[in-house]
Amino acid sequence: MTSGSDGRRPVLTGLGAVSCLGAGVGPYWNALLAGGAAPREVDLPHLNMRATRMYRVPGAAVPEHPRRHAGVPLGAVPRMAVAAALEALDDAGIAGPDRADVAVVMGSEMGNASVQEERRGAGGAGRPRWTPLAVAGAAVGTAIGSRRGNIGVGNACSAGGYALGIASDLIRSGEASVVLVGAADGVTRVGMGGFDRLGAADPQRCRPFARDRAGTMFGDGAAMVVLESTTHARRRGARAYAELAGVAWSCDARHPTAPDPDAAQLVRAMREALADAGLRPDQVGCVLPHATGTALNDAVESRALRQVFGPGTDRLPLFALKAMIGHTSAAAGIFACLTAALVVSRARIPANAPLEQDPDCAVWLPLEGPLRLERPAVLANTCAFGGNNSSFALTGPGGTT
Amino acid sequence: MPGTPAGRWAVPPDGTPPETSPVITGCGLAVSGLRDEYDLLEPTATGAEHDPDAGRAGPGMRHKDRASRLALHAVRRALAGAALPDPAATAVVVSSNFGNLDTVCDFTDTIAAETVTGLSPIRVPHMSSNVTAGWVALEHSLRGPNITLCSGTTSGLDAVFWAATLLAAGRAEAAVVVGVEPDTAPVARLHREHGARSWLDGAACLIVEKPEHARARGVRPRAVITGYGRAARRDDAVRQATKAYDRPLGLWVAPGPGGLDLTARLGRCSGALGVLQCAAAAARFDRSADDAVQAVAGDEHTGARTEGDPGGVAALLLTRPESGHPGGDRHDIRV
Repeated sequence: MTSGSDGRRPVLTGLGAVSCLGAGVGPYWNALLAGGAAPREVDLPHLNMRATRMYRVPGAAVPEHPRRHAGVPLGAVPRMAVAAALEALDDAGIAGPDRADVAVVMGSEMGNASVQEERRGAGGAGRPRWTPLAVAGAAVGTAIGSRRGNIGVGNACSAGGYALGIASDLIRSGEASVVLVGAADGVTRVGMGGFDRLGAADPQRCRPFARDRAGTMFGDGAAMVVLESTTHARRRGARAYAELAGVAWSCDARHPTAPDPDAAQLVRAMREALADAGLRPDQVGCVLPHATGTALNDAVESRALRQVFGPGTDRLPLFALKAMIGHTSAAAGIFACLTAALVVSRARIPANAPLEQDPDCAVWLPLEGPLRLERPAVLANTCAFGGNNSSFALTGPGGTT
Repeated sequence: MPGTPAGRWAVPPDGTPPETSPVITGCGLAVSGLRDEYDLLEPTATGAEHDPDAGRAGPGMRHKDRASRLALHAVRRALAGAALPDPAATAVVVSSNFGNLDTVCDFTDTIAAETVTGLSPIRVPHMSSNVTAGWVALEHSLRGPNITLCSGTTSGLDAVFWAATLLAAGRAEAAVVVGVEPDTAPVARLHREHGARSWLDGAACLIVEKPEHARARGVRPRAVITGYGRAARRDDAVRQATKAYDRPLGLWVAPGPGGLDLTARLGRCSGALGVLQCAAAAARFDRSADDAVQAVAGDEHTGARTEGDPGGVAALLLTRPESGHPGGDRHDIRV
């Protein structure tokens, strides 16, 4: 190791969120400690399906601006992304002309599709204008005045995890010093309807690892984090929540939508993320699993965790975030990263939502809490259609807690 | 270098780069009117009868979306029947801005006409923006990183850069890079609404690997990925891409006059543009004495300004491999 490479270790210095728990990271954390949100009915026409609820961002938390980008009308998703981005940069203390030097990496699943959907669903009343996936990233880049690279990551429900890895590699390779990385997703009937038709949507709530779980339930929102090199953060005297110590990716290459029951590639992603971070499994004090509430995912992920952590799995606290905010699709990985950063920096793990646990999911979900984070690292997983897996590990800045 | 704080990116004590520059060893096209990458160099290529999606009902193609079918054709041609030696260490990087647009629009129309019960579960995977990368991985059992980029018109050159970065970071030994944009009804409508008269219907694939990996499996490097730049202006992007290269540039594969302008030839190529440009570069090294090709994507001549793009310009410098020589042969097409 040289001092040069040490200085490129990426640290998280700013956080921003708009979620079903409201606008802002402060209310988000307090609401997680208080047990999270309850889902609400989605009031859209033609749903005609079993599962019609989502973890919805309260109307008052959806910003009104910016309304357009390059002539494209912006729906709630890019607007929430811009609000979260500005919060994250303010939190990091990056202002004015310094924002021109911030690269943007943006994960998206349905992007600005709600605008397209509303207009097409209005009986052809409105002619939808161009709404490529990249528009959310473009709107964020413009809103903060970035003149650096702007990368759109379309890795479905693991887009957040992949975006974090791309941002981390930008910093570790020396391509960038500061990257605003995030993701946002919204309410679309296409997404809800698709999962309903696969029989993978729970009509009650998102119940990861529960005996009677019946599928996932989506949530909307945006999460953004500021990632910067240790050297850059030190030079400007910024405090860091955590270090993004390791990231790894893999692909099942087995089924277009379902996870590989053997979990070989998810296990590989977790082990490689720990190796990338220079961590042993017994140094992990909490895991934020992908844990969507679908029957297969949660059982497979439980087995994968036991392969990685062995008998120690019984004493390893898991925090099933989606039970509190739903499955935020592309944003799930960034919400997990943001939550992990708060767990590391505050050394506290929120209690899980009450559940009757599935005996086929042999993991520990503490129902009382918050617990103290007893070991230095937090590991998080994201998985997606296409067999995409991503794992990443956070530690205290400089490997401490 | 697992276990060190900088992990994969730790610089060796002597400061030398840990890897030599990655190389392109294979190209495959599935583009209407073109037989292969050499046709990109010939403005009067005669493959007009060729349908890039002719095998739509063939093995492994049924029930897939058009973008994925085009991509799978291009990948099969690029691999030319060869299997990559270590699928677990092979990445897939797909660039596409509109690959799933037809599925999403169709689903919306179906919901309006028939409610959600009209949606076919078989098509649900196609609504996902990463469906093409997933199918490519599935067909060839590629278990390395699986990335989908949708960064606008720079996305294809970005994808080639990220393939190179994956190799440099030790995340993969080889990468299958695909740029694909299907000509579906919603895509056509959106292009027309924004002033385009023609646009691509097709896919291009590159095999990118470490030089030693190519040597070990006995394949010929066709182009070296030498430099990359990304900036708000073309001049700055090119300056970044060429900062370590002081010899004369040969061909410019770039929008606008004075070079090989694939947008003028094929229409808007969006996320496929950069991958097609690199395929053209590989063909050029076989057919000329040029030592370098400069690819540029994302400025006003590619339609980026009207596509709601982030607005950046990407530049990629490709150079002739040391063992390279003019006069390579046209590929055998085995699909």
